[in-house]
Amino acid sequence: MNDWQRKSPLDWETYVNKMVKVAAIEKHEYEGWVLTIDPVSASIVLATFLENEKVSISVVLGHAVQEVEILKEGDDEMKQRLSCIFAPEES
Amino acid sequence: GDVAAQGVRAALRQRYLRGLAAARGRPTRFCLREGVWVDAVFGAADVDAVAFQVDALRTPLGVQAAALLRCADVLAYSFLL
Repeated sequence: MNDWQRKSPLDWETYVNKMVKVAAIEKHEYEGWVLTIDPVSASIVLATFLENEKVSISVVLGHAVQEVEILKEGDDEMKQRLSCIFAPEES
Repeated sequence: GDVAAQGVRAALRQRYLRGLAAARGRPTRFCLREGVWVDAVFGAADVDAVAFQVDALRTPLGVQAAALLRCADVLAYSFLL
């Protein structure tokens, strides 16, 4: 297990709704807004908003995460936008 | 302490599972070790994060109707909503 995988849910929660840069193994880098971190695998789910109003989701697996740097805090509008992405469909 | 952490853990996990549900059926690019990437249609993941089940895995030899990708071989994956 790496340092990222050993963090507690309360540690992971501090990254939610923030813009981060994830450094992964083999020199891969990913940037996006943190939607969540899976507490089982420590995988990070990132969202990026594209120009055509589509949303790109990237998931970096916990075992591949080396470092996560916070670039920007999300304001209330961004938090609202992020919370809608995976919201259950109304029935 | 523990109760608060457990509540946060449940909330994080629920959002992650909703993300998996959103991925289902979408064309997804998987980034593997050693600079290799493959395209497939996302199917499902097991609860313990051991493997991903995918459909229509594109390989140099053709399209595999169904396949399992081991999580240990996958660094990241992405898809469009």
